[in-house]
Amino acid sequence: MAIRDLTTSQARRPFQRRRKTCPFSGPNAPKIDYKDVRLLQRYVSERGKIVPSRITAVSALKQRELAQAIKRARFIGIMPYAVN
Amino acid sequence: MALYEHIFLARQDVSAQQVEELTTALTEILTNNGGKVTKNEYWGVKTLSYRIRKNRKAHYSLLNIDAPHTAVAEMERQMRINEDILRFLTIRVDELEEGPSAMMQKRDRDDRDGDRGGRPDRGDRFGGERRPRRF
Repeated sequence: MAIRDLTTSQARRPFQRRRKTCPFSGPNAPKIDYKDVRLLQRYVSERGKIVPSRITAVSALKQRELAQAIKRARFIGIMPYAVN
Repeated sequence: MALYEHIFLARQDVSAQQVEELTTALTEILTNNGGKVTKNEYWGVKTLSYRIRKNRKAHYSLLNIDAPHTAVAEMERQMRINEDILRFLTIRVDELEEGPSAMMQKRDRDDRDGDRGGRPDRGDRFGGERRPRRF
């Protein structure tokens, strides 16, 4: 974290991406709801797998909540377990 | 009394009216056991993501329930007996949602989605089964 902050303060190097923040933290963040398929859809891959938080930058706490919501949505048939 | 969100799926070849009757029957079970239903939403026939008991579609209904556990347990027991009910999910919540749920307000959400930034960038890069860690 600290290292990345330093690099961004210098002349912006190419291929150095800005640190992403958790999309569920901070003001007007969406509420994780298992009924909200449109929201959950962004956090599963094309195959229907849950995307790891290191790619989506969701915080650990919210990722657990999100995973729970996706699993609930799968159970009631509004999201797939697997897409072939 | 505890608060619950309850979703149930009814077989697709059952009519919408029968689903409504089913909901009233369930509501009755709850009220007879000292509970009440604060919201009743019918989502209509939706396509399932995968087949459930050979069905490709199902009627979805959502109930917001304020009832003691025994009432909910009794309702669930009867639902298990009923063959028209494919599946149900009861979740205990700290507070019940007011107004239409996310499923009902999907239409208006479409235009709002644009300014929210959309999907997280690079989320689409996760595609392979086994790929080296990126960072």
